[in-house]
Amino acid sequence: MSGERDVAQASPRRIYRWDLDKTYLQTEFDSLKDLVRTALQEAHEKRAVPGAAALIRELRSRGDSWLAIVSGSPTQMRAVLQEKLLLDGITWDEFVLKDNVRNILRGRFRALRGQVGYKLPVLLESRLRAPAEAQEVLFGDDAEADAFIYSLYADLLAGRVDDRVLSRVLEEAGVYPDDQARVRAAWKALPPADPVRRIFIRLDRRTPPAAFARYGPRVVPVFNYFQAALVLMADGELTAPQVLRVALELVQTAGFNLLMLTNSFQDLVRRGFPVADVAHGLVQALEGPDALLAALRPVPDIIAAFSNRVAALGATPPPLPPVTVDYLALLADALPGTHKGRRQP
Amino acid sequence: MDSGVTLAFDVMGGDAGPEEVVRGAAALTLEKSDVSVVLVGDGAAIDASLGKVRHQAERISVHHAPDWVRPGEKPGPALEERPSASILVAAKLVAGGEAHALVSAGNTGAGVLACARHFQLLPGVRRAALAAVYPTHRLHGEKQDPFSLILDVGATVGVTAEDLVGFAVMGSAYSRIISRNPSPRVALLSNGTEPQKGPPEVVAAHQLLRALPGIQFVGNVEGVDIPRGTADVVVCDGFVGNVSLKMLEGISETVMELARYAYKEKVLWRAGLAMLSSGIKRLKDLTDWEQYGGAPVLGFDRLFIKAHGRSRAHAISNAGKVAARAVRHDLAGVIQAGLKA
Repeated sequence: MSGERDVAQASPRRIYRWDLDKTYLQTEFDSLKDLVRTALQEAHEKRAVPGAAALIRELRSRGDSWLAIVSGSPTQMRAVLQEKLLLDGITWDEFVLKDNVRNILRGRFRALRGQVGYKLPVLLESRLRAPAEAQEVLFGDDAEADAFIYSLYADLLAGRVDDRVLSRVLEEAGVYPDDQARVRAAWKALPPADPVRRIFIRLDRRTPPAAFARYGPRVVPVFNYFQAALVLMADGELTAPQVLRVALELVQTAGFNLLMLTNSFQDLVRRGFPVADVAHGLVQALEGPDALLAALRPVPDIIAAFSNRVAALGATPPPLPPVTVDYLALLADALPGTHKGRRQP
Repeated sequence: MDSGVTLAFDVMGGDAGPEEVVRGAAALTLEKSDVSVVLVGDGAAIDASLGKVRHQAERISVHHAPDWVRPGEKPGPALEERPSASILVAAKLVAGGEAHALVSAGNTGAGVLACARHFQLLPGVRRAALAAVYPTHRLHGEKQDPFSLILDVGATVGVTAEDLVGFAVMGSAYSRIISRNPSPRVALLSNGTEPQKGPPEVVAAHQLLRALPGIQFVGNVEGVDIPRGTADVVVCDGFVGNVSLKMLEGISETVMELARYAYKEKVLWRAGLAMLSSGIKRLKDLTDWEQYGGAPVLGFDRLFIKAHGRSRAHAISNAGKVAARAVRHDLAGVIQAGLKA
């Protein structure tokens, strides 16, 4: 596919890792009917999650990043998925899908639904190819075990998980011995680093955000990609006009309005994410000459709406404290199916 | 950019605590795509509850209000002492246009008083009325609603004939919109069906209602007609309405107590009740006030839905649906048009 860039020649400052189903694409696979329909869809019939394409485009616009896609979709869907990304104006650097035909042929039925044994080695092996200084932002959803796997990946890289915990996780998650060996080999070969800055979990199933509190503030559950963009702006990854362009896509394609944007903003403030200060930057960008942002005016209304949302809270909640993730206590999140019942901590 | 309907929920007042109100409002945001909610109350308590339930964050905002009025408190002094009480703050938000209607399961008097302070009475309305729904034998309207509306049940004691006519117009409009009853039967509560029966204001109101176009006035009804559902809307002053409503509730509780007594007393009676259990359950479901959610305070330019103090999430959510429906159908506008006629 022409969308794939030559990874070996790139030297990224940032790596953005994205899941596809329910993270980038609005995919339904809760029933057999959904699965069949998804499998038969052509590229132009697939729908991206509102704001996802705009967010990726803005993240990639500086040209110093990798986009690594790791999806549980079967390899047979590669062409149609890649075509969809290209239709949305997105190019990628890595594109890994799950070879479930191979799993079936080898009688590895646990691997059909298992996520840890699939994604963890892929992530670690991909990291082996990345420059040591490259930092990462990961995007997943609440339909599978993304929060668990991404956090484990981050803490393995940073040396915050020991071999005993890893072994127990791999065993409990039913990871096959050869995949366990891949995980260990890649992990051992990687130099110690702490590159994962954020893990965004899109709340496709509207899982209560507190269910992710035990992963700490690095994991940011988001209801929409405007929220992700706000946090990324606070982190210095995006500028205010870029955030507003994500908002614009939500307004134009998903029926978002000022109330929904300000509610999304306030939701993050209430959950202790440090976005209250980005409002000033957004206002400045709105007052600027960017013609694209005309749809988001009138500016005074927007300024008042954002200010009111913060003022309504009285005091701004304190930032979230760092957390040491107890992976053994969270093992249920890693098992296929059990995370679907996740409701509260 | 249409924002749909926004409802302000007084989170603090209900007997079941903020968690149930938050759960109910959260459920509403998942169920109704055009409804947004402002949760008014203790910010920390709201966020603690909200973090544990599925919801649509784009449709929820929180407005911190540090105080609240307790269920048994005298409304006047409580609101004087606590200008940051959640019910006052919520009413102010509605009056200021940040939300279209107010929902509260808290202190009824405080709710009515907060509305009186921040909302405007509709032109032609001298006094607001608190309405209540009660289960009846007869079904009503397109929804086959097992509930009739009675008003006033406590907002006003000592009314004029014109006040009663106003209550009739408001109750009729509410029934048309909420029960989808195109021509609700409206009656005056009295001590006889004859037009000349009852206190002077009721007799005078009877004459006025007979001549009023746009309302299906069916004359006077007696207390016995209330549970029969002879009328879809029963009009009375707040004193009579409150006594009647409490008596209905008391009878209902007594029947339940008798059933419990019978269940314990004899094995044969227990067996009989067991055989009837599915029917009793169906009857209970049919007349469950939680299905209805709340009762309106009518007469203001903004809507206040008073949910039952014991409301849990389901009832709160239904109260929100009632409020949203009333807003969508411009209940205040319909009442105003009725009053002009």
